[in-house]
Amino acid sequence: MKQFGTIFNFELKSYFSNKVFVGITIFLVVIIAILMFFPRFVDVIPEEEEPTENLPIMLVAGDIPSSVMESISDTFSNYNVVFSDESVESMSKKIANDEAECGFVFSGYSICSYIVNNISMYDNNIALASELISESFRFDKLSESGLTKEESLNILTYEPEIETVSSGKNQRDNFFYTYIMIFALYIVILMYGQMVTMSVATEKSSRAMELLITSAKPVSMMFGKVIAACIAGFVQLVAIFGAALLFFNINKSYWADDEIINSIFDMPFDLFIYMLIFFILGFLIYAFLYGAMGSTVSKLEDVNTQVMPVQIMFIIMFFVVMFSLGSGNSDNLLMKICSFIPLTSPMAMFTRIAMTSVPLYEIIISIVILILTAFAIGVLSARIYRAGVLMYGNPPKFSTVIKNVFKGK
Amino acid sequence: MKLELRNINKSFGEKHVLNDITFSCESGEAFGLLGRNGAGKTTTIRILMGVFAQDSGEVLLDGNKIDYNNIKLGYLPEERGLYPKKKIVDQLIYFAQLKGMNKLDAEKSVDKWLERLDMMQYRNKRLDTLSKGNQQKMQLITALAHDPEIIVLDEPFSGLDPVNAMLLKDVVKEEIQKGKIVLFSSHQMNYIEEFCSNIAIINSGNVAITGNLHEIKRSYPRNKLVVSSTQFEDIMKEFKSSQRLKNDEIMISLENESDKKEVMKKLSSSYDIDEIKVYEPSLNDIFVEYTEVRK
Repeated sequence: MKQFGTIFNFELKSYFSNKVFVGITIFLVVIIAILMFFPRFVDVIPEEEEPTENLPIMLVAGDIPSSVMESISDTFSNYNVVFSDESVESMSKKIANDEAECGFVFSGYSICSYIVNNISMYDNNIALASELISESFRFDKLSESGLTKEESLNILTYEPEIETVSSGKNQRDNFFYTYIMIFALYIVILMYGQMVTMSVATEKSSRAMELLITSAKPVSMMFGKVIAACIAGFVQLVAIFGAALLFFNINKSYWADDEIINSIFDMPFDLFIYMLIFFILGFLIYAFLYGAMGSTVSKLEDVNTQVMPVQIMFIIMFFVVMFSLGSGNSDNLLMKICSFIPLTSPMAMFTRIAMTSVPLYEIIISIVILILTAFAIGVLSARIYRAGVLMYGNPPKFSTVIKNVFKGK
Repeated sequence: MKLELRNINKSFGEKHVLNDITFSCESGEAFGLLGRNGAGKTTTIRILMGVFAQDSGEVLLDGNKIDYNNIKLGYLPEERGLYPKKKIVDQLIYFAQLKGMNKLDAEKSVDKWLERLDMMQYRNKRLDTLSKGNQQKMQLITALAHDPEIIVLDEPFSGLDPVNAMLLKDVVKEEIQKGKIVLFSSHQMNYIEEFCSNIAIINSGNVAITGNLHEIKRSYPRNKLVVSSTQFEDIMKEFKSSQRLKNDEIMISLENESDKKEVMKKLSSSYDIDEIKVYEPSLNDIFVEYTEVRK
């Protein structure tokens, strides 16, 4: 236990005195500060009226219905709408010569042509125009059949009021922070997993291992290293998310309109606790595996190939969860199974809890399985470590490692 | 204290690397573990240190199974290596703490050793800024700082300049005098001969010979005389069984050990003799004999 404490302190200290570690943390906090303070500064700078001559020119020609003519400038407010008598041919020539950006040639209530040079990814002019015309058409027809302007407006803009009574989760609200948390978990595990691997592999390649292994028990080594990495990662996350929360609260009034940002910072407390639990346990399991893999390489160059199996497993789990989350059906059979398998459950179960209603007993079973597995993998990886650290030369096959582990100490 | 290895066997996979390794060493003396490259020295040491488990056999301390929780071991591995990027004093204290010292004592002891090995000026430097020999002295501190009862030094002299080698010799002698068990493994026979009263030569996983070095030397037949004289050519004419060793030195082999006195008298009376002694094999000779023959 004393050894564990010594190793833990030493490892933790080396994280916090690592310039890259501190640098990245500060950098991320600064980025978040800039993001969170952004609307405040934008508000302070007086918005200048954008001069109309800088807007791209949209040419409109042909037989334009009067109601379309009235509102077309409003619909395409980011264009300088110019009416003309051009034909399709002369208009496309002008557009090809960059004299205008795009144009419409109408013939009554149906669009004749939309003329544009390059159709950009986000070009929604056709949709806008179509909506404008159909609305004008309905409005005009209703007016023609004897309704007053107001009556037809009421009919056209009618919207029912629907009240939602939900017994489960609001997936739309939960989506963003679930997404962010899963992503944070993914990044942190990958990053710290690599750090643990490197730390073990460096000790081995610098041969400090020879001394360490004769000075300390492998279990103390493994747990000391991994838990130090876990705490370091945790502190980093707390710094980043804490800064985000702090800056958000300072600038809360400026963010009032942004639903996404508000939904992220409006995370329910119980979900936050679940996040902590799954974060820590998931982190531990993977960090142990990464550490064990690190102990089986003898040259730093081999680290990447050796951690590949763990990496691939982890990325697959990430994609399973991400696809399920994206598809809107987070409670499919695959997710249910994954939420009980220790390697996938941290992300899968957390997603299910956040997005759907999971019975409490399922959560408890999943957590208990996770805790037991984390401990078992910890001990197992200490044995792999012990067997692996003194093997030099080519990285051993996984089967050889396992054989050595079970063949005694 | 008496440290004993009894019938240690160890295999890695199909390969039987240690075969009934047995030897013992006592406190207050240095023990030399010899063997060619790949003979099984390091594996023996690792089993002794409790890093590997032996397949069979025992490591005993004063007749009881060694308890690694209660005995302090100091180890200077042949493959040197600490943390190259870390501050020297930090890692020395870390290793002393791992061996069970509290932080304050560890710091005191590390400083004492830095002083003793004349390394105080490097205290706050990073390890990789030091020369190889100085890194090795730092490594030596990790083996000694926690005041171990058993000290295992694997090739301690390799890479040291003569002054540092002398410093290390003094340190080792002090430790022996303090009543520590010092276990040496080295290829530099002169150092082993200088320090070690007992040796074991390991060859292909077997103990080829073990025991008191002096007695081992004595056990060789004492029927050869080494004679140093400017008149060696004349002597060689008289004694047909002689051979030239080097410069003025020749070796005369006698048929009977009992003729020794007679021959010595004769030599000293009829020739100008610088030195006559009974031939004793050097450790080097013994080593070569035991490790070559078996091959």
